[in-house]
Amino acid sequence: MPPRVIPFQGLVNFRPRAPVSPVEAEDLSLVSKARAGDADAFRALVVRFQRKVYALALGIVKDPDLAWDVAQEAFLRVHGHLAEFEGKSSFSTWLFRIATHLSIDAVRRERTSRKDDIDDVEEADLAGGGEGILSTALGNDPRENLLRRELAGQIQAALETLPEKHRTILVLREVEGLSYEELAERLGIHKGTVMSRLFHARKKMQAVLRRYAGPALARRAGEEEEPGPETGGPRGGGSPRPPGERAEE
Amino acid sequence: MRDCLRFAPMIGAREGELEPAEARALEAHLASCPGCRAFAADTAATDGLVGEALLARANARDFAPFVDQVMARAGAGRARGGVLAWLSRHRRAAAATLVPALAALAFIVYVRLEGGGRNEIALLELASEGEVTMVLQTADGPVVLFGEEHGS
Repeated sequence: MPPRVIPFQGLVNFRPRAPVSPVEAEDLSLVSKARAGDADAFRALVVRFQRKVYALALGIVKDPDLAWDVAQEAFLRVHGHLAEFEGKSSFSTWLFRIATHLSIDAVRRERTSRKDDIDDVEEADLAGGGEGILSTALGNDPRENLLRRELAGQIQAALETLPEKHRTILVLREVEGLSYEELAERLGIHKGTVMSRLFHARKKMQAVLRRYAGPALARRAGEEEEPGPETGGPRGGGSPRPPGERAEE
Repeated sequence: MRDCLRFAPMIGAREGELEPAEARALEAHLASCPGCRAFAADTAATDGLVGEALLARANARDFAPFVDQVMARAGAGRARGGVLAWLSRHRRAAAATLVPALAALAFIVYVRLEGGGRNEIALLELASEGEVTMVLQTADGPVVLFGEEHGS
């Protein structure tokens, strides 16, 4: 039996960088084929990343149809510039960078910057109300928690209350999992600004979620207490304070 | 409160994102500040919620047409920008082809201008190595123009 010849489909076109994971290597192999004109390889890349790119765009632009268009445009940009991809970063990093910028552009086309897009953390930002309710409600194993799933359903509405800068940084942090350094590089801002923007974003998100979690907790506590009206409040002691006393910007 | 201004933005940092001294100082602050501790607890409890929710929405959507639409738009784009796209992908090959071709074209223009109205036509052939051999069609018959290498 003649020896089986397997054509090398490696990364000959890419400059070496830090060791790549098997998944990244597979991405780069597909990119290499797509660059050579293999439509199936490009199709495979689209299928691989389409939902995550859409999720990222949706978090930033808010509108599902606009997010769909932005996600498609991101893949088209990638397709048009495959020859310029040098493999210095992973393919997904390159793709998400393009998707991020397209999403931000799409939002900025629709509106100008608002006054509450500040980055500094001031004393008034530290004041709030009801901090701790969410951790109490979500318990020690939040991922298994029913309320967590209910809160996830409110995320889109909560995200919409955030200014674009805060929404963007929170989405990049949570969908793409970027570090402070990566966020700074992606958005062209200092690490300190990354941290303060994330602080504002979380503070506002938590305030909105608290408005939902507070009544939900109270409702449940009421259900649990029905047989004995003398029993105490929910876990954590006492009824949840009315959240969000301070008007959020 | 001044300490809170400094430490609150550090809450939610992942391991290794803060300098060791910053991480230690944050820990000490959290131990003594109930407000920041509550915010840290809520941040930890809601960590990942945004990502999960957005990916859940993406997973709930029918993506069957997405890739076909992208491929169709990419194909249309390639058809529109065919030559430009090819040039973009094969810059060196394009340069290797275009440079001698443009040189030959310039020579033709020069010969025609010099030849005036005497019905002289310049023909050219491109060798595979990119060398150009010129054949000048004149009223007296074809004249092959060699480069210096042939003359020496």
